[in-house]
Amino acid sequence: MTESLDMITQTVWFQALSGYFGTIAFAILFGVPKQFYNTGGIVGAAGWTTNVVLAWYCGFSPFASNFCASIVITFLSRCFAVIKKCPVTVFRISGLLPLVPGIGIYWTIYYLISENYPKAFTTGITALKVLTAIIMGMVIVSGIPNKFFKRLFSPRRP
Amino acid sequence: METNQYDNKMSEALEVATKAGYILLENGAEISRVEETMNRIAKYFGVDTGNYYVLSNGIFTTGNSRKLKKSNPNSLSEQFADVKYIPLRGSRLDKVVAVNQLSRDIEAGKHTIETADKELDTINKMPFVKNWFQILSSGIGSGFFCSIFGGGLRDCFVSTLAGLILWVFVLKVSAPHMSKLLGNMAGSFLAASFCIIAIKVGIGVSLGHTIIGAVIPLVPGVAFTIGIRDIVGEDYLAGTTRLVDACVVFFGIAMGVAAALLIFNKIFGGLEL
Repeated sequence: MTESLDMITQTVWFQALSGYFGTIAFAILFGVPKQFYNTGGIVGAAGWTTNVVLAWYCGFSPFASNFCASIVITFLSRCFAVIKKCPVTVFRISGLLPLVPGIGIYWTIYYLISENYPKAFTTGITALKVLTAIIMGMVIVSGIPNKFFKRLFSPRRP
Repeated sequence: METNQYDNKMSEALEVATKAGYILLENGAEISRVEETMNRIAKYFGVDTGNYYVLSNGIFTTGNSRKLKKSNPNSLSEQFADVKYIPLRGSRLDKVVAVNQLSRDIEAGKHTIETADKELDTINKMPFVKNWFQILSSGIGSGFFCSIFGGGLRDCFVSTLAGLILWVFVLKVSAPHMSKLLGNMAGSFLAASFCIIAIKVGIGVSLGHTIIGAVIPLVPGVAFTIGIRDIVGEDYLAGTTRLVDACVVFFGIAMGVAAALLIFNKIFGGLEL
């Protein structure tokens, strides 16, 4: 297998695909009802693609790209929650999975155990920054009143 | 004065509300949703003196019927107090969705206290997806997440196999027989060992990417995300409890991976992430 074929995974379209199917796979493990698989996958793919495009082509830092992805995910989740009439949690959890806010913490603990302290410190700080970015994105979109989303998708418009 | 048909049923109403809260909390709903749903159900059944204090692993419900007594002097004064301990457990979002739907139906007047109680019992016994389907999705998820973390096509293939093996282990051994910490350590040890051997045989390329993909099904995504959500909603106590719970799981996973690397480094030598 040639190197270029092997690295086909590191293209934007493959990443979007990974976001979609990866999200659906774990939505199944978390017991998300069947009728929300597709929508959850779309939210996950949108969030992850935002992150990848901003990080690769626009030179955003992990903080900035995760912040934007978090905004996209929470916004789409709230839209779909109104459209599909179900708790916003379902889409938000599915959507945030590809960002894996906890994975930095896994690495930090791993480096601590293997006594690589400088690396543990840098990954730990990055993990905290990413976490803060995700929280801030969520806070901003959570501040939009529910009326806005309801009016956006109500069948009768003035 | 007209009396509500639920006047003397405060205890029953609050019990149903607590039961709904129990199911929600056990299966990974955020605190604000639990409180809101309990309040909604109790209110429809005529109790507006209920107080709910919800933590990440407990629900405190109290209520008294003083207000009801004013409207109906013949009714007895009644007190209700209940404390429920709820262990931190996995997540079943289908149950959260079902209880949410039920509370809307109750509000729309489709249920009495008795039918609502029965409905909650059925929700609690809802079947989970089939084992083979879980194993399959664990494998597929591992493969795609390996690519998300930067692995190549061959790494994804190795991760997929490791994810399949890992979930068979979780279903057959660690979930029924092991504690949370030990189960995660053993599971990630198994997954990491498989990845190391696969790399040594020459199927995979990058050890770090394959291992991170392989252990992803163990990562407590829901606990972590809901913990963040609770902190955003200013439920700091519940949020930190969930985050600490998630960190314990991360610790278990990291220990398992580190142990596998240590042992196989002694055998093969020169392993690096």
